[in-house]
Amino acid sequence: MMTQIDYKKELETASKGMIMIHDHVLLTKLLVRMIVRKARLRHAGMILYESARDSYVLAISRGGSGDRIPERFLRFDHTHPIIRIFHQKEYKYLIDSRNALVFDDINRLIWHETVLGSANGSREILRQVSEQMPMLNSVACVPAFYRHQLLAVLLLGAKHDGARLEQDELDFFSALASDVAMAIRNAQLFEGLKQEADRSRNLFIQTTIALGSAIEAKDSYTHGHTERVTKCAQAIARSMAQQGAFNVAEKFFENLYIASLLHDIGKIGIPESILVKKGPLTPEEYAVMKTHSARGADILVALKDFEGCIEGVKHHHEKFDGSGYPNALKGDAIPMISAIIAVADTFDAMTTDRPYRAGLSKEYAIAEIKRYAGVWYHPAAVAAIVELYEQGNI
Amino acid sequence: MPKLLIVDDELDVREFARNFFRKRGLDVFIAANGPEAMGMITGECPDLVLLDIRMGDMSGLDVLRELRRLENPVKVIMVSGIEDEQVVQETIALGALGFIHKPLILEELEKVVLREFSLQS
Repeated sequence: MMTQIDYKKELETASKGMIMIHDHVLLTKLLVRMIVRKARLRHAGMILYESARDSYVLAISRGGSGDRIPERFLRFDHTHPIIRIFHQKEYKYLIDSRNALVFDDINRLIWHETVLGSANGSREILRQVSEQMPMLNSVACVPAFYRHQLLAVLLLGAKHDGARLEQDELDFFSALASDVAMAIRNAQLFEGLKQEADRSRNLFIQTTIALGSAIEAKDSYTHGHTERVTKCAQAIARSMAQQGAFNVAEKFFENLYIASLLHDIGKIGIPESILVKKGPLTPEEYAVMKTHSARGADILVALKDFEGCIEGVKHHHEKFDGSGYPNALKGDAIPMISAIIAVADTFDAMTTDRPYRAGLSKEYAIAEIKRYAGVWYHPAAVAAIVELYEQGNI
Repeated sequence: MPKLLIVDDELDVREFARNFFRKRGLDVFIAANGPEAMGMITGECPDLVLLDIRMGDMSGLDVLRELRRLENPVKVIMVSGIEDEQVVQETIALGALGFIHKPLILEELEKVVLREFSLQS
């Protein structure tokens, strides 16, 4: 008895430290290895519930070669006797007294059921379990639950000295297995949150795309414009990042993506008579048209976490020499997102048909953009689009 | 006695499967890699082979290709953790009778193997 209490203390201390381990597989590996060593078992294994397969996998196994069960070789579905006997409420009473199913108990339990003549099928499942346990080299199985969900089963091999597993040992293993169940539960919750976040993100992107195409519904001449500008802006940014023009940050690309999709959203507030007018705009009309970038930023003000993207929309008609709108920003005061969209926007506007003129050639558009590098357009963004053009990538 | 050859690079799998099928009255041989498997197949003439795919230099697919050159090709069932449907199809095209995915349900493996032997006898 003394030696058992010794190893229990050791295990308890170690397992307290392990609560901090968030990887439930790693936690399980450490626990199973320690159980084998400290309790002097020939082997031990842990069957873990895997939600992706909706089944149980013997995932962790430690002990002597020839004794231990291969890892990730066996799968147990919900109909497997060892899973059912722990999972189904009507069999719960078979486990209650020992927190485990012990092979040496099974014959006694079957006899007990026979004498009592219960009709709930306990005898049959006990018989099936008694066939399964030797196949798994196990003298005891310890279940672990979260609420009423069976999340893990600890399989215990015989002790090296052939001694029986004492009740206090089984209780202790049961407590350790519960730690594993808790860790699995946490991992499941975390996975669920991640999926939820991904879903929300996808919904946001899809909503943004829908919003971006709203403006195209009003102005058929801009059909496909948003998509093309978005693609071109991403290409320019990637090329600039490769040349070290700015630090690559995931957030930058995200903001650029959203801002390009929404760069003309402010046109929703521009009267149709101006928006689709054939022929040149009067100075008054042009003044109204120019409000679309600031209007766009106003519309998007509710996107709290996307300030960079709102700024990008607001300033996509600023010019490098300060002659643009709405704030006449100059040079590096213009957000990089805006500078990139400006080049992509101009390129697409020049190369597609407009109400007042047919589309120009790519070659001509690139030459024009090059001519205004450092005047209207950010030189690095111009260099990037020229390179894309020369490589045949736009 | 019907002869079963188990080919797997994992020692634990070989040991476990050997014990399991021995208890079911089969004469079980094991091989840890492709060349060992080829030696066993020509030397022991097993009735059925359980074949892993990922094993060192000579993969299970290579073994299947080699086997096609034999006069009396042995029956092969793949047992592998590979999920790639293309690989599964390739093994079938190369003559494997079936494909069992690891982690597997032991009773299913048992059923498939014993059925092959009962078909034979």
